Amino acid sequence: MRNYVNSLIDGLFPLFATLAALAVGAVMLLLLGANPLVGFGALLQGAFGSPNAWADTAVKATPLLLVGLGICIAFRSGVINIGGEGQMIMGALASISLGLSFPSAPGIIIVPLALILGFVAGAIWGGIPGFLKARFNVNEILSTIMMNVIAVQFMNMLLRGVLIDQNQLGAAKIPQTARLSTAFDLPRLVPTRLHLGILLAVLLAFLVYYFLWRTTVGYKIRAVGLNRFASRYAGIKVEQYMVLSLLLSGAFSGLAGAVQVYGVTHFMITDGTAAGFTGSAGFNGIVAALFGQLHPLGTIPASFLFGALLVGANQMQRATQVPAALITALNGLVVVFVVSSEIYRQQRVRRRAIAEMKKQEALASQTKG
Amino acid sequence: MKKFTYLLLAVLFASFLAACGGASSNTTSSGTYKVAVVMPSAINDLAFSQSMYDALMKIQAERGADKFEVAVSDGVFVVEDAAAAIRDYASKGYNLIIAHGSQYGASLKEIAPDFPNTTFAWGTAGDTFGLPNVFAYEALSQEGGYVNGVMAAALSTSGTIGVVGPIEVGDAKLYVDGFKAGAMAQNPAIQINVNYIGSFSDVALASEAAQTHAAAGADVMTGSAQMVVGAIGVAEQQGILWFGTQSDQSSLAPKIVVASQVYDWTVVINDILDLMSKGTLGGKVYAVSLANQGLLIKFNPDYSLPAEVKTLAENTIKGIQDGSIKVEVGQ
Repeated sequence: MRNYVNSLIDGLFPLFATLAALAVGAVMLLLLGANPLVGFGALLQGAFGSPNAWADTAVKATPLLLVGLGICIAFRSGVINIGGEGQMIMGALASISLGLSFPSAPGIIIVPLALILGFVAGAIWGGIPGFLKARFNVNEILSTIMMNVIAVQFMNMLLRGVLIDQNQLGAAKIPQTARLSTAFDLPRLVPTRLHLGILLAVLLAFLVYYFLWRTTVGYKIRAVGLNRFASRYAGIKVEQYMVLSLLLSGAFSGLAGAVQVYGVTHFMITDGTAAGFTGSAGFNGIVAALFGQLHPLGTIPASFLFGALLVGANQMQRATQVPAALITALNGLVVVFVVSSEIYRQQRVRRRAIAEMKKQEALASQTKG
Repeated sequence: MKKFTYLLLAVLFASFLAACGGASSNTTSSGTYKVAVVMPSAINDLAFSQSMYDALMKIQAERGADKFEVAVSDGVFVVEDAAAAIRDYASKGYNLIIAHGSQYGASLKEIAPDFPNTTFAWGTAGDTFGLPNVFAYEALSQEGGYVNGVMAAALSTSGTIGVVGPIEVGDAKLYVDGFKAGAMAQNPAIQINVNYIGSFSDVALASEAAQTHAAAGADVMTGSAQMVVGAIGVAEQQGILWFGTQSDQSSLAPKIVVASQVYDWTVVINDILDLMSKGTLGGKVYAVSLANQGLLIKFNPDYSLPAEVKTLAENTIKGIQDGSIKVEVGQ
């Protein structure tokens, strides 16, 4: 019973951390002369106040969940993937290229192919740092970050060049693609912006859970993450599994990019930054995964919570007219609090484990004596 | 645990109150405007977003805050967030919604037909999508670029000029191309190094680019978009002259900013308001220029510009206004 309560508290930790961050945010709102109750009221209303708000929250959660699933795989095998942004971009570029190349092909063929293409492009972009790590022991934190920069510049090049929409009026040419044929739009579930991608993401979350905990490959990935040396001793090809996990991690981010293009934006445009396309989902997905304690199923509610925060915070800015920088700060606070609480949670788990061990030892010595 | 339950209840209650408050009526009496603007960067970026914010504040000062209500969503560079904001403002009954960024066009095209009684404006762009409730506005920034270029070439003693651009598109490209044309017209032998850094927001990269220009011997620099503050910092340190665009950048570095081309959108907004009061909700494309006073060259009062260069600049402005000087860029 006590264990159950303990793990429940552990599970709710990120939620407490979010509330604490919002409390700090309330002070900031007060200092800016805005009423925190009005602000947070608007936040809740913006995230959950209407069917449309629910849909927007789910739409925002979708890329977070997909990226987060990849993060679960990577972090479980002990490698860190910060390249979600670049992998999303490569997935998006690959998938939109297909759709733009065959505008009159039937959607039933193009859409699944485009999603697969996005998955593969992301896998390649994530696999490269994986290969570099396995072969040359290149730090994957650095290489994935650098791959982000390359992806952004590649996107800028394509959107200014071969992919640019030629039919633009006015003197200023905007670096954007044409809109994809409406036949390629991911089906809407209800008359809101809610698209099929969210179902796909949730389905994949269960699949990833099955993969990590119910298959041999998944078992080996987790084993490598728990103890690389013991795994090697047990005959697991450690490098191979690290490459695989980074590859899969990239693949899910790539799919997130493709889903974003076919489900939400239907075209691509660049303002020169990665965040201009991804909305920082490549990074926020990491937070969502940590929120969900690196468990694919835990990542589902975590993504929704974080998606709600992002959608609601924009509404809060409109309602209170505070500077947009506060919203960025508020989201940053949530990240800092959640990540710190994760460390604290781990300490608690360790302390409990040690206490348990001591109890066992005491018992053992008692029975001996 | 109980405390959290109370907190949760309090928050839920607050959201209920907010929901009630949202249902107020949105009818407006004639001559009263509720204006919302969505912008990609901060309202105090001393560049693109600020140019629109300043214009709205100027109009508000003229008409009074009760007749001209302004709501701002700034720093919205993610297109789908902007789309949500535009839709939200429209459903809250704002009369005029300005999507101040060329990246918002595709969203506007989908949203505007759902709100036929609301006026939308967007720019910089030249396309109203054939919709009766969409205005578009753009800036012929090559004109001010040309004037700045003429002055820059006249002031440069090293014969090398550095340009820090964002991405080679839009009004930034027009400005840079105009600047080059002006400088070449003044001094055909001048060396102009252009560096597009690939970002509208990377301040650190802009200062790196400026360092490179300085190392290459540039004694005059210019640049476009909101990341130029980084370049202006470098210029100030090294005593390199700076020409601004979009907003008046004199306050950033009073010693080295010579002049700025300022986008003054008040002419556009006032005309839109005028048309709206007559029942026309859209369909017109605006281009601010030196001739229609939507583009202004603001000289920095703290910089002592040689009289002959100032005369040269004024003559160039006149020439562009009356058409005797043609800036053949972006045609």
